[in-house]
Amino acid sequence: MEAALDILSWAALVLGGIFYLIGAVGLNRMPDLFTRMHAVSVSDTLGVGLLILGMGLQAGASLITVKLVIIVLVLWTTGAVASHALARAALHDGEKPVLIDNAGNLVETDCVEIFPELAVRLAAPLTSEVVEEAPSEVPLGSEESLEEPGEPDREANRDARPPAENGGET
Amino acid sequence: MMFAVAILAVLAALALAVVRALAGPTAFDRLLAVNSIGTSAIMLLALFGFLTDRPEFLDIGITYVLLNMIGTLAVLKFFRYGALGHAQDPERDEALR
Repeated sequence: MEAALDILSWAALVLGGIFYLIGAVGLNRMPDLFTRMHAVSVSDTLGVGLLILGMGLQAGASLITVKLVIIVLVLWTTGAVASHALARAALHDGEKPVLIDNAGNLVETDCVEIFPELAVRLAAPLTSEVVEEAPSEVPLGSEESLEEPGEPDREANRDARPPAENGGET
Repeated sequence: MMFAVAILAVLAALALAVVRALAGPTAFDRLLAVNSIGTSAIMLLALFGFLTDRPEFLDIGITYVLLNMIGTLAVLKFFRYGALGHAQDPERDEALR
């Protein structure tokens, strides 16, 4: 039993280390930001997961394993969120992915040329930020509504829209 | 012994991530590499705790996990707005005032 657990945890730790290295090598060898993010996600999910599994098998059923599970769950969820935010920020900043053209060459391509609807999507963060801000605006509006009930809220919404529409047109 | 092997792998990955953080052409590449370095640091903390039989290191690891996420999002927001505490749209805030 002890030996079996040792073998399993050896395998998990070595495999985890290998996946971790694969991610790090990809981070250096991939041609552009988005493929690099793809490579890093290998080490952030499979590598971390297997390393933690290997440690958990050594620790057995104890508080240490609970802490390990907390670490791996938080890493998995926040890794996805951080990657999403990073890709969105990069696209918004005009980062151009390197794609293969018809001749088979690697070319920096503006995604908006290929997917015209992406221009709308890239403008979308502005509107979604207005939506995210909305709850914090409601208290502001309700404070004002002590003086003029109803009106300020509508005014706030009207003011919130123009930046979003400008973003959609450009 | 098995933890030492894993630590070596993570250390090598950490070194490669540092290379990308120094070489990365855009700020986003550096940020991705820094995020990866943070993850490597967490794994190093956990593995080192097991190597030396001191599981207290896991608590430090949990702290680092949370800080890593907050740090990445904070830097992204800083790139986008040039400040951390400012409102997202000054004109709209003026209009609200």
